[in-house]
Amino acid sequence: MPDLYGEAMRFLTAIALTWMTAAAGAFATPGQPTDGNLGFQPAVTPIMERINEFHNLLLWIIIPITIFVMGLLLWVMIRYNRKANPTPSKNSHNTLLEVVWTAVPILILVVIAVFSFPLLYFQDEIPEADFTIKATGYQWYWGYEYPDQDVPEYISTMVAEEDLAEGQLRNLSVDYPLVVPVGATVRLQVTAADVIHNWAMPAFGTKMDAIPGRINEAWFQVNEEGTYYGQCSELCGIRHAFMPIEVHAVSQDVFDAWVAAGPGSDEANAVIAEYSAARETRLAQLD
Amino acid sequence: MSADAATHDDHTPSMWDWRRWVFSTNHKDIGTMYLLFAIFAGIIGGGLSGLMRWELAEPGLQVFNNGFWGNEHNYNVATTMHGLIMIFFMVMPAMIGGFGNWFVPLMIGAPDMAFPRMNNISFWLLPFAFILAVMSMFVPGAGGDMGFGGGWVLYPPLSTSGHNGPAMDLLILSLHIAGVSSILGSINFITTIFNMRAPGMTIHKMPLFVWSVLVTVFLLLLSLPVLAGALTMLLTDRNFGTAFFAPEGGGDPVMYQHLFWFFGHPEVYILILPGFGIISHIVSTFSRKPIFGYLGMAYAMVAIGFIGFIVWAHHMYTVGMPVDLKAYFVAATMVIAVPTGIKIFSWIATMWGGSIEFRTPMMWAIGFIFLFTVGGVTGVVLANAGVDQALHDTYYVVAHFHYVLSLGAVFAIFAGWYYWFEKIFGVKYNSLFARLQFLFFFVGANIIFFPQHFLGLQGMPRRYVDYADGHAFWNMVSSWGYVVMLIGMAFFFLVLIDAIIRRRKADANPWGEGATTLEWTLSSPPPFHQFSELPKIK
Amino acid sequence: MAGHAAKHDYHLVDPSPWPFVGSLGAFLLAVGAVGNMKGLVGADHPLAFMYGDGSFGGLILGFAVVIYTMIGWWGDVIKESRQGDHTPVVDLHLRYGMIMFIASEVMFFVAWFWAFFEYAIFHEVRLDPGLAQWPPAGVETFNPWHIPLMNTLILLLSGTTVTWAHHALQHGDRKGAKLGLIFTVILGVCFTSLQVVEYMEAHFAFSMADGGNLYGSTFFMATGFHGAHVVIGTIFLAVCLVRLLAGQFTPEKHFGLEAAAWYWHFVDVVWLFLFAFVYVIFG
Ligand code: HEA
Ligand code: HEA
Ligand code: CUA
Ligand SMILES: [Cu+2]
Repeated sequence: MPDLYGEAMRFLTAIALTWMTAAAGAFATPGQPTDGNLGFQPAVTPIMERINEFHNLLLWIIIPITIFVMGLLLWVMIRYNRKANPTPSKNSHNTLLEVVWTAVPILILVVIAVFSFPLLYFQDEIPEADFTIKATGYQWYWGYEYPDQDVPEYISTMVAEEDLAEGQLRNLSVDYPLVVPVGATVRLQVTAADVIHNWAMPAFGTKMDAIPGRINEAWFQVNEEGTYYGQCSELCGIRHAFMPIEVHAVSQDVFDAWVAAGPGSDEANAVIAEYSAARETRLAQLD
Repeated sequence: MSADAATHDDHTPSMWDWRRWVFSTNHKDIGTMYLLFAIFAGIIGGGLSGLMRWELAEPGLQVFNNGFWGNEHNYNVATTMHGLIMIFFMVMPAMIGGFGNWFVPLMIGAPDMAFPRMNNISFWLLPFAFILAVMSMFVPGAGGDMGFGGGWVLYPPLSTSGHNGPAMDLLILSLHIAGVSSILGSINFITTIFNMRAPGMTIHKMPLFVWSVLVTVFLLLLSLPVLAGALTMLLTDRNFGTAFFAPEGGGDPVMYQHLFWFFGHPEVYILILPGFGIISHIVSTFSRKPIFGYLGMAYAMVAIGFIGFIVWAHHMYTVGMPVDLKAYFVAATMVIAVPTGIKIFSWIATMWGGSIEFRTPMMWAIGFIFLFTVGGVTGVVLANAGVDQALHDTYYVVAHFHYVLSLGAVFAIFAGWYYWFEKIFGVKYNSLFARLQFLFFFVGANIIFFPQHFLGLQGMPRRYVDYADGHAFWNMVSSWGYVVMLIGMAFFFLVLIDAIIRRRKADANPWGEGATTLEWTLSSPPPFHQFSELPKIK
Repeated sequence: MAGHAAKHDYHLVDPSPWPFVGSLGAFLLAVGAVGNMKGLVGADHPLAFMYGDGSFGGLILGFAVVIYTMIGWWGDVIKESRQGDHTPVVDLHLRYGMIMFIASEVMFFVAWFWAFFEYAIFHEVRLDPGLAQWPPAGVETFNPWHIPLMNTLILLLSGTTVTWAHHALQHGDRKGAKLGLIFTVILGVCFTSLQVVEYMEAHFAFSMADGGNLYGSTFFMATGFHGAHVVIGTIFLAVCLVRLLAGQFTPEKHFGLEAAAWYWHFVDVVWLFLFAFVYVIFG
């Protein structure tokens, strides 16, 4: 049986926390979900920034529409209930009104479209890339290859709960992460070996199906150093929830050192670990 | 026996005569069987969603932890079967088979359906299809694990090479049979509506519920056979070595998605259009006003049905389609908001100036209008391929479609249920319990599904048995919402028990002068065969 | 048989066992099919002959129940028609019903054509170069101007003979109707036989197990489903022939024959599309 009292307390604490975070304004760690938050994860690529802006615009449209409909409903419920209005009118036509509620939504949709298409084309047209990463989905792990750096495919598997090291996240951390230099434009090629998977990274705004027999392309450019987590986003069988994606955005020289150390090896991981530790201290000093 | 039954045609056969039901050729009896079947399926489908919400209540594996309920695969099976059962065995039978069968003939002044015997096979195929679906949960699916766990959309290769056992084959044939049932039902409704309207009832005098069923069954008739084709391809890929979706033989898994969604998108309007019809009647009845903009309402549904056929690939924005194609589907999809908006505003305009009485069905109907709008506008968000890239396959989508289904279609079903309950069963119900059910459903369903928008925006993927710890809070809230909803379900059963025990005789028209359609001119329940003399419509 | 008090022409059908029995048949057929394909019970289970891997018992049982239902059900329809239950409005019902049924069949073929076109037109996305061309490497397609052309002519001719039969019947020329139908049935059988010959001569395989690929899948499934419809249409016409010989059709009332003719024309049109696209344009 669930511990009801504990649940209730956690419920209340969490509500309080949420309101505090909401009040403090997006007090979230980039690259991972923050408990109780309401919106997108912080954007770290140009694509995600634009998605975020466009989504904010949409919120400014859909929330007022919803409130408008709710307001109308409340109004008719108050003004035209049987007590307030015992004799109903029999009117059932009003051409002007009908034209208005056809035309205004069309205009709103045109506005949406005007902002929607540029975003779509921005995402979809891949700019001149600095290098390519090839990601292959397997049941149930990812394989990464850096053809331009001659890095052969290495396998990236979730860290089991009992093996989690200090600072690693349950269901999100992997043994051999993907590493990219900050600011580099990366062309991502995705495919799969068995069933469909999907390479999804919320902080990047990237989500691309990995389909056997096809190669799909996407791109991203990470603007901030850090560690970002994503998850397989197409149902692929029993361990669908357990093939996460971890990307480290590092400086160019650390990236080079990582490539030289042979990605997919403990040496390469050591390069990243050292770098992250240094960064933590740096950040701590800044505070 | 048939000669015997024929002479007894004119008075109602005993309720306890099994042949009355099994051999039925009476649209009202068949409609009742559909409704009871939908309730039964709804309980199973709702139970599966309970297992899911229980599992997701907190991080880690609570339910599907290799114990009684099986492992992570069985979670996927529960999700898959929840989706399929709710759609094919709950909403469709309730709306089209149940209310459609009951009220299309009554509203157009017909004595029965055009093909009364075919009507019965449309019904009886369903329980057998349902048995096949349930059987599939208990035979090997993927490896040694029982059941098919590849999502209600049945995407290959997970549904072909990814599930080698017979579970998927049983499921395919279950859907084939359910599909045949719906196609036969559609033929029946189209013929009935075109041919059996009472003298004077022109197509532009037809009640809106009849219009909604007409559009719905056209969508079924034209989209289900394509699904049947796709399912057959899955079957031959699995068993006879064809290469439709097998890349090693030149096939393409994406082609399945096109075929599926060519059916799947019309299907979601199939699920909601009859609801639109029901809501129109209720809003007009309890506002004591004729429906506002009748023609606009009717043709908005026709427009929704038509556009519904040309937007399917908005479910496939991440499969790697050419960008111009995506742009087309963005534009086409958003267009649907226009006729849908016409419906929403016409309902409100019907209430405007009315004399609104908040009887039970009206509460559900107003709830529907609001909640459907919430679900609709998030649909418009998803229609934009640019944002969908961030939201596809996250809980945002789950929130969207439960707002239109579990809070849209289901609210419409309950609205219709309480609108027509007395007409169907001939007894009154306890409206206090029914209102309490509404209250708990309204609150509960919002608590379940509203936070799922936040989960989706934070990036929580769908079809996950276990999630990152950063998603814990809103999942907990959502699961508590389920408990609230369950209390609502308890009131639903209380209403039934109360009605069965007290058996208060219902009036022919409990709603007064606002209720103008033909079914209210008949007794409650109507005679076994109504309209022996066809009504004349001025 | 409508209730005696009824003042309308609709046909209120008597209660009937067929819908339930037919549904049971469909269920048994489905279970039997899965047993045959995958084996629902082990090889040494006492029911292995019904539902074991590769067994036919369950399939045959289900099929038998379905066929039994069809005979019983449609037999009842014929009986009711001869009793006079099929008033003009009921006759109109039947027409609408048949048109809608054919419309759904058309959409069923849309799926198979969709698969075919997808490959015929967009094959270049395939990663394997042998499969990224049309026709795929190793596939030797049929010459459309041999058997397929012959079959086209056969079907077109059969379309005229069935019309002949219909017109003859309308004008009370029972002999002509008989002849026309006999010719149509024979032509239908010829078509099917030639199709079988063609299948045996195919230089590409159906199953990937025999080295086949998507070309064989789409070709055999599309033409195969068409062939199945030809067989059904032929049986439909043959039943009409028997009914004609039994004197069940009159110049005024013969919807069974008309329905069969509509169905036959539909099968004919599907073939024209197959011939044009599968054999000629993308052959
Ligand atoms: C009853 C079922 C139903 C209904 C009615 C709808 C209605 C709509 N749906 Fe939804 N949808 C589903 C059921 C439904 N959907 C399901 C089940 C899925 C998921 C399938 C799966 O993957 O499992 C899905 C998924 C889905 C997706 C894919 C998401 C993804 O997987 O990434 C998209 C994208 O375009 C979408 C869009 C829409 C739109 C634009 C509408 C529109 O019809 C909504 C129109 C309504 C309104 C907009 C509100 C009222 C209008 C006004 C008040 C006027 C003014 C408004 C404006 C100007 C905006 N839906
Ligand atoms: C009509 C459709 C419908 C309905 C009503 C519901 C109702 C509910 N759904 Fe469902 N859901 C789907 C369709 C539906 N769902 C689909 C298509 C999917 C996707 C599957 C997939 O990913 O493949 C899904 C997936 C889905 C998920 C995501 C799982 C995942 O991705 O891992 C979750 C999680 O919370 C969920 C929860 C619920 C809950 C708590 C309810 C509750 O609202 C349930 C409460 C019960 C009822 C509301 C039923 C009451 C009705 C009756 C008893 C019948 C009454 C009849 C008459 C009166 C005649 N659903
Ligand atoms: Cu891989 Cu889901
Ligand atoms: Cu859709």
